[in-house]
Amino acid sequence: SCRISSDGKPAKFQPPPKPVIVDKQKQREERRFLSPEFIPPRGRTDPLKFYMERKDMIQRRKVFNIPEFYVGHVLAVTTAEPSASEKSSRFVGICIQRAGKGLGATFTLRNVIEDQGVEICFELYNPRIQAIEVLKLEKRLDEHLLYLRDALPEYSSFDVNMKPVSHLDHDEIPVNKLQVRMKPKPWSKRWERPKYNIKGIKFELPEKKMKEAQKWSQPWLEFDMLREYDTSKLEEKIWKEVSEELKK
Amino acid sequence: MMPIWTKSGKRHVVTLLKVQDCHVLRYISKEESGGKTSKLLVGGKNVSPFHKSESAMEIFREAGVPGKQKVTTFNVTDDAIIKPGTPLYAAHFRPGQVVDVTAKTIGKGFQGVMKRWGFKGQPASHGQTKTHRRPGAISTNKASKVYRGKKMPGKMGNIYRTSFGLKVWRINTKHDIIYVNGSVPGHRNCLVKVKDSKLPTYKDCNKNPPFPTFFADGDEELPEDLYDKEVFQFTEPSLTYS
Repeated sequence: SCRISSDGKPAKFQPPPKPVIVDKQKQREERRFLSPEFIPPRGRTDPLKFYMERKDMIQRRKVFNIPEFYVGHVLAVTTAEPSASEKSSRFVGICIQRAGKGLGATFTLRNVIEDQGVEICFELYNPRIQAIEVLKLEKRLDEHLLYLRDALPEYSSFDVNMKPVSHLDHDEIPVNKLQVRMKPKPWSKRWERPKYNIKGIKFELPEKKMKEAQKWSQPWLEFDMLREYDTSKLEEKIWKEVSEELKK
Repeated sequence: MMPIWTKSGKRHVVTLLKVQDCHVLRYISKEESGGKTSKLLVGGKNVSPFHKSESAMEIFREAGVPGKQKVTTFNVTDDAIIKPGTPLYAAHFRPGQVVDVTAKTIGKGFQGVMKRWGFKGQPASHGQTKTHRRPGAISTNKASKVYRGKKMPGKMGNIYRTSFGLKVWRINTKHDIIYVNGSVPGHRNCLVKVKDSKLPTYKDCNKNPPFPTFFADGDEELPEDLYDKEVFQFTEPSLTYS
């Protein structure tokens, strides 16, 4: 039986509250990724040169898919090799650094194969590369992982026949806060020094050494105005240009 | 400087040269110049006439052309004479041609003998007194003089030098850019003179060039990009070996 309010009349129908639909597709479009090699370096070069390079890069991207990847992702690259038996070779490894700007941009993959650490530097726009697959998506705490050369080999070894880990497009790329354990010193570089600003190493050095390393800190560097290079407006323009060209 | 890949997978490096407002300024006949061939004066980048002397501006006014930053001479045969005032474009050169590039090298200022001439200097330790980067002996006892042209410290760079035998890989007709193999003397955005190569090995490299030059108002319609046949164009799929 219907409810009767204090007036005696039947209560007005109150519809249930509308559910809030969070459209994850729209949220994903807000996240833009512009590959770092599109951003021109600071210098007195004519912007026409960067424009010509960008045209070539976009042309290559239309034909060959270069996925979005960061330092710390595990990639598999197949290259055309004239001396190999099947005329192609596949290398799996973790991306330790992305260097270079423009067409000469490179990325280095590291893996440990039969107890031998191997690093191969590939050029992103080299026409001999036949496929780049992202096997595992994860960002790390640092911009480069060169310290993996002095870390225990288990952190650089990845299975060559690893299956790609599934990842949904709209999810944020997870950041792996792994702290890597190092081999005993001497290292190739003194990673504890503040100039490298490494956050992904578990330093098992005595307190005295860590304090001594802070002697080389340069706290004035972050306030140096001549070193500032604000790329936000450049990035916006280049992002618009690149996305419009790629949609065609 | 940019990388370029060939169809066989080899990587070469390329310098981009832009042809910016080049005009022919004057024709000097063989008798007038006193040389073996007639000459053509060609002017480079446009600059404001207020910073040029009157005598320099006379040549530009005669040709009906704005003031140019640099004027060079090209020795030209009688059948390749061009009327003064015609613009010159990058399409004057074709991919596959071989070219010499002349420019002023980067000025290094007053430099010592080790950097300027590549001398070895002296050891850093083991008793050397105040002598680590000096030239050492400059002549012998018998000569009892220093020869003319002895390598000594002095101003280095900022002189004209030529790179010979550079292959042209690609021409962009829309922006007038020539892609030339290897490196070229001079700093970024400096003025450069590009000539057909004088090397005897590349004498027959130039087949059917645009003669006397490429005229923009002519009948020829060139595509935006002209590539050498070896160059890998990014519109093709990835390379495979069979």
